[in-house]
Amino acid sequence: MKNLFLKDMRYRRARVVLTALGIIVLISLILLLGGIMNGMRIQAQQYVKSTGADIWISGEGSGGAFIGFSLLVEEYMAGLKTAQGLVPDSASPLIFAQARPNIKGKPTKAMVVGYTLGELGGPKQVIEGRMFTPRTYEDYRSEDNVPYEVVVDEKMGLEIGEIINISKEQVRVVGKAKSLMFVLDTPLLFMDVRAAQRVILENQPYINMMVAKTLHKQLQEQIGANSGVLQTPEKTPFNINNLQTAEEVAANLDALNTIEARSLDQTLSDIMEYWVDEPMKAVQFIRVLLWLATGLIVGMITYVTMLEKTQEIGVLKAIGASNKYVILLLLKQVALISLIGVFVGYCLSYIFAAAAPIFVKINFVESIIVACISFMVCCGSGYLAARKAIRVDPMVAFRGEIDSTPSRYEEMLPITEAATRI
Amino acid sequence: MATIVEGIGLTKRFGFGDAAVVAIDSVDIRIEECELVMIMGDSGCGKTTLISLLGCILTPDDGQLRIDGEQVDTVNHDLSVIRREKIGFVFQMFHLLPYLTAMENVMVAMDIAKTKAFESENRAIELLSRVGLSDRLHHRPGQLSGGEKQRVSFARALANRPKIIFADEPTANLDSRQSDNLMNLIQELRQEHQSTIAIVTHHEGLRENADRIIQMKDGRIIDA
Repeated sequence: MKNLFLKDMRYRRARVVLTALGIIVLISLILLLGGIMNGMRIQAQQYVKSTGADIWISGEGSGGAFIGFSLLVEEYMAGLKTAQGLVPDSASPLIFAQARPNIKGKPTKAMVVGYTLGELGGPKQVIEGRMFTPRTYEDYRSEDNVPYEVVVDEKMGLEIGEIINISKEQVRVVGKAKSLMFVLDTPLLFMDVRAAQRVILENQPYINMMVAKTLHKQLQEQIGANSGVLQTPEKTPFNINNLQTAEEVAANLDALNTIEARSLDQTLSDIMEYWVDEPMKAVQFIRVLLWLATGLIVGMITYVTMLEKTQEIGVLKAIGASNKYVILLLLKQVALISLIGVFVGYCLSYIFAAAAPIFVKINFVESIIVACISFMVCCGSGYLAARKAIRVDPMVAFRGEIDSTPSRYEEMLPITEAATRI
Repeated sequence: MATIVEGIGLTKRFGFGDAAVVAIDSVDIRIEECELVMIMGDSGCGKTTLISLLGCILTPDDGQLRIDGEQVDTVNHDLSVIRREKIGFVFQMFHLLPYLTAMENVMVAMDIAKTKAFESENRAIELLSRVGLSDRLHHRPGQLSGGEKQRVSFARALANRPKIIFADEPTANLDSRQSDNLMNLIQELRQEHQSTIAIVTHHEGLRENADRIIQMKDGRIIDA
């Protein structure tokens, strides 16, 4: 009888449903937490990658761009304009700082990004409105007027012309940029670097970092744009093999002992560790706990079911069932419940992710792997519990009684039929 | 007549050391083909333990067991194979699976023996019809009376054409009319199927149905 285990499951359907529900909730949570972390990783990278820079310079001892407190004086960085391995004049000042702008009377979290229009560090175009007005003077003095204009993230819900308060200053929204939210949906406010100094640094002539592009990267982009393949480096003005890579340039600059320089990959790695992996350690731990809880639920329910079925198992063994037959009977149930739980949990996690108030990106491949591991955890713990069934002594068949409480269907049988029984 | 079951010097102890209890004490027993044997005695005298040993549910601490002419290696042999191929059991509490119909309960025994589904279905219908339950094929145990459950239990025991059927107090949960009906049925089935049946009972009224009475006391056979 191939469907013996299904009939048993139908008989104990309340337990089956509750077990599956437990698995569904836990699997959804495991996948959602993974999706939150994945979303944070994507958001942590997207702004940095969008700048086009592959060298990130911060103050000595800061631990790298985006990590520790870093203040640089832009004038002192003039030497970077002609540094070996960098595209001439590509080094650009950048302010990247957390702010608490007051938008429509409500304090909101945001990152102020101050950069020089046309250089590295921010969007080159807007999707609505216009870019902020760039400063027009060469020799900047602190009392000079700066354009209090800001380009906001398209998802902030702000309209062109709206005024927002940052610190003591008021800035006007002049454009909307393609969404580049930072970690945990933190929107970016792009403005001129001088305006950022006014609103964030109380008009002190500091910047947080310098960003630059290497010749190596520029050449790679040119070759890629021309042919799509790295075919003829000899025909270009530079031989790409003779150029320093971003890592080599960063290492040379880092050796100056007055600044810290990182390549794009190193910066991304630092950001990932500082903004995602470190704070998310607790979440990772909770994910492992949830996995354990899932395994425990399945193991416990299987164990309790096994205890409840001791008499049945004993009878089956007494009438000739092998250990394999008995354990397969239980394992088929465990596998089916786990499969249903994991599958529904998997589907629900995508629905929850879409409805989540923060950016959640469930990675398809990762989620399949997580679902497979979860399925194995469920089956494994079910197997451990089901192994107890092997030890059931068939002698129990000579004692006690199998619980055969009439089902709801039986209770509905007409009295006349019941009365005909002898 | 050939000997179906033969036990020589069967001994079974429970517990260890000073607390050990000898439930079966050097018992020699033979059950011949087509015989209906009743094992009788007071409660606790070792009747159920004896049929558990003979039915390969328990392994003896000492002694030898032969079933259908073959020596049973209780140490190395998978006894479940012997149980499903050569032995049928009927229990005092019927022990039908509550989520299966009468027909499915009979089919389970054949499923365990890897009989093909359509064969087991036909045989289950045939056996249940024979025990008078053709109108109860699709009823679950909760919908059957005690006598009906025991008849399903007998049909299940017969399913794999066993060499011998062991029945443990099969009438203990039946009233006198149901008991008589069941014993009549057992006699008929025995004739038809040429079955060997060993019944454990303390119901003196059943004596007249037996070919032979094995009387036990304190783990020993005192009269066979």
